[in-house]
Amino acid sequence: MQIRKTLVLAAAAAAVSFAPQAYAQTLTIGLGTEPTSIDPHYHNLGPNNQIAQHFFSRLIEQDHKQNLSPGLATSWKATDDTTWEFKLRKGVKFHDGSDFNADDVLFSMHRGGNHPNAKSSFGLYTKGKTFTKVDDYTVRVTTAKPYPLMPVDLSSVHIVSDQEKDKWEGEYNNGKSAHGTGPYKLVKWVKGEVLEMVRYDGYHGAKPHWKRVVIKPINSAPSRLAALLSGDVDFIDQVPTVDIARLKKNAKVELSQGVSNRIIYLHMDQYRDNPQYMKSHDGKPLTKNPMKDVRVRKAISMAISRDLIVDRVMEGVAIPAGQLLPEGFFGRSSKLMVQKYDPEGAKKLLAEAGYPNGFQATLHGPNNRYINDAKIVEAIAQMLTRIGIKTTPDTMPKSVFFKRGKNKGPAKPAEWNFQLVGWGSSTGEPSSPLRSLLGTYDKTKGWGSSNRGLHSNPVMDKILDEALATVDDTKRAALLAKATEIGVGEDQGIVPLHYQVNTWAGKKGLTFKARTDERTVAYDVVPN
Amino acid sequence: MNTIAEQVAPIAAASEVKVETPFRRFCTAFLDSKVATTALIVLGILIFMALFAPLISPTNPYDLAVVSILDSKMPPGTKSLDGVTFLLGTDGAGRDLVSAMIYGLRISLGVGVMSGIFAMAIGATVGLIAAYFGGRTENIIMRIVDIQLSFPAILVALILLAILGKGVDKITIALIIVQWAYYARTVRGSALVERNKEYIEAATCLAIGHRRILFRHLLPNCLPPLIVVGTIQTAHAISLEATLSFLGVGLPVSEPSLGLLISNGFDYMLSGKYWISFFPGIALLITIVSINLVGDQLRDVLNPRLDR
Repeated sequence: MQIRKTLVLAAAAAAVSFAPQAYAQTLTIGLGTEPTSIDPHYHNLGPNNQIAQHFFSRLIEQDHKQNLSPGLATSWKATDDTTWEFKLRKGVKFHDGSDFNADDVLFSMHRGGNHPNAKSSFGLYTKGKTFTKVDDYTVRVTTAKPYPLMPVDLSSVHIVSDQEKDKWEGEYNNGKSAHGTGPYKLVKWVKGEVLEMVRYDGYHGAKPHWKRVVIKPINSAPSRLAALLSGDVDFIDQVPTVDIARLKKNAKVELSQGVSNRIIYLHMDQYRDNPQYMKSHDGKPLTKNPMKDVRVRKAISMAISRDLIVDRVMEGVAIPAGQLLPEGFFGRSSKLMVQKYDPEGAKKLLAEAGYPNGFQATLHGPNNRYINDAKIVEAIAQMLTRIGIKTTPDTMPKSVFFKRGKNKGPAKPAEWNFQLVGWGSSTGEPSSPLRSLLGTYDKTKGWGSSNRGLHSNPVMDKILDEALATVDDTKRAALLAKATEIGVGEDQGIVPLHYQVNTWAGKKGLTFKARTDERTVAYDVVPN
Repeated sequence: MNTIAEQVAPIAAASEVKVETPFRRFCTAFLDSKVATTALIVLGILIFMALFAPLISPTNPYDLAVVSILDSKMPPGTKSLDGVTFLLGTDGAGRDLVSAMIYGLRISLGVGVMSGIFAMAIGATVGLIAAYFGGRTENIIMRIVDIQLSFPAILVALILLAILGKGVDKITIALIIVQWAYYARTVRGSALVERNKEYIEAATCLAIGHRRILFRHLLPNCLPPLIVVGTIQTAHAISLEATLSFLGVGLPVSEPSLGLLISNGFDYMLSGKYWISFFPGIALLITIVSINLVGDQLRDVLNPRLDR
């Protein structure tokens, strides 16, 4: 009798202790920014790509450090200078049961670059390449010039089924056409409310832990954190920097933190002769654009104390930047250092450039895109005002800011003369920011698409052109470093501020490998 | 033994009290309520602070050359490097909260009152014209008012600010546009009643010009409800401005109003840095409550039906 009672108690105790495991089939995530669409080719945007990655696979996947690994392609190699061959995985099925083969790859690569409604196109990765089907499981890609970045480029394009011809973002958003080969299937998406997915058991890769994932978009940072602390969600991204120190002491919460490939920096108008948001120190219209003078650009860089921004605005959670990518990435320059804070030197340079009394400028920035963006803008305005550049900070929601701050070439340059933005290098090396942020605007080449200051230096362009056609890794790294030294160093085409460090927080017992591409990926969250 | 003079003096004084001008009657009735009197005094102090902000405030929170990020997020009572004591602490950009609140009050009250005055002028004119002329004029005007009132004020203001951009002038314009309809409707209501009274008929028979009848005869008799609505609407405008600033539209970050200060501090609420949001919140609360209390008392005093 006594023994039986003990047994029952033990069983009950066991049931209780195992209960959490049984219940832990569902992961609820509080996400800072929701996607604009489920369609993986609609908008080349971090929040979209991180969601697309759950439903769709790529030929080549990127791990949390952006290292490449086989995805739908099992192997790839350059057969000669201008030809690449991709061997595809056999036996893979889409969520709707149809087979995956070379036709889907050709269809997706075409769709990625030619989506009629795309907000920002994936053409950056697919244009200039000719895709041909060798057989059902082999795809050949040819380019006019040697192109060493081929695998990296193709690791950014998601593969959809060629059964879904003429289906666009509408059909994807309501789930009718959102069939990929990824680890999760879309259940439903109610914009602004919930995004729900279930595990796809036919997935070709490692089986994810969570059977069901529920994603709730929670825009406001304090509310997102409150949702985690109250237990409404299990995991959140974009933990507010002010709260990190306190959360570290909280035994119920586990943090993961890692530097990202995203640099926060300033663009300066180097094109207009009469910049509309700048005035002379006494408020008169300027006769020339001070930011065209490299000395003024250097003075701006010297006037900014990156240490102070990191310490007081970012609460220590960021890394001061002197170039385009943080340490450890391919193609970095070993010569470029973080600019020292030197307000006196900055004033001297300004005087040399012919502005002993400084001038007036407006610094524009978003207020809900990057970590603490509005506060950084305000801090920089203070610092520049102190060396005589009377700066008015003006921040606005990202939807308004990016529309008006977008550069469409010399015919229609960005409205802002001086703006704070960020750039995450999806390829994990400096050629993407060099081409997009500093390369001379050229629509056919796809260069300068985000060169919001319209900086241009033919010498740097030439070196970059050479680097992009150099297959040898060491030589290419050296050329990229050289181009960075000219564009960011000598020319100060942009003013680098810091690299973002991202923080995620989950309930105790959940671990997450911080990703350099800043993405929040449900299957990377695992119980320990 | 009393002299005659001594006996006369109190009588004279008493008779002086009995001389009741409408204004004096109004004042006595208003000051009857202790709560309203207190609210009026508080409001007076707030207006005084707003008017003389540059003289009262310890630092200039808008001078970016003085405000330093080094002083950011200091708790109340901290001493800065320059020896200034931050009585209520500093905000995220390093502004002294006391100064920022006084200047913020100036913007909040200024925007509220200015938009109230202009909206009242426009609304009253339009409302009077509608009531006086009637017919098609009235129909057109009142349908426009109806359409305007059927949209939530906050929505209209958000759209307007998205088009207009940022700045004190822009937010004032937006608030005028969302508010004039309230005044128009109020004035029309009382003008409709007044219009049929004999004195207007008399004025019409004397062939006095429309404009003179509208503004010299009709308007003064519609004033009491207008004053009441004006006070309440001013409080409403202040809270609407605070809401818009909280949402990040309306005012530039470098020149925060109370709403923007609250919004800035909201990020720090969970981190224990309560003062950045808390004190501006209290200031906003006191401002709006005191205006509303004064407005309520005005309504009681000016409403003939509640005559005591």
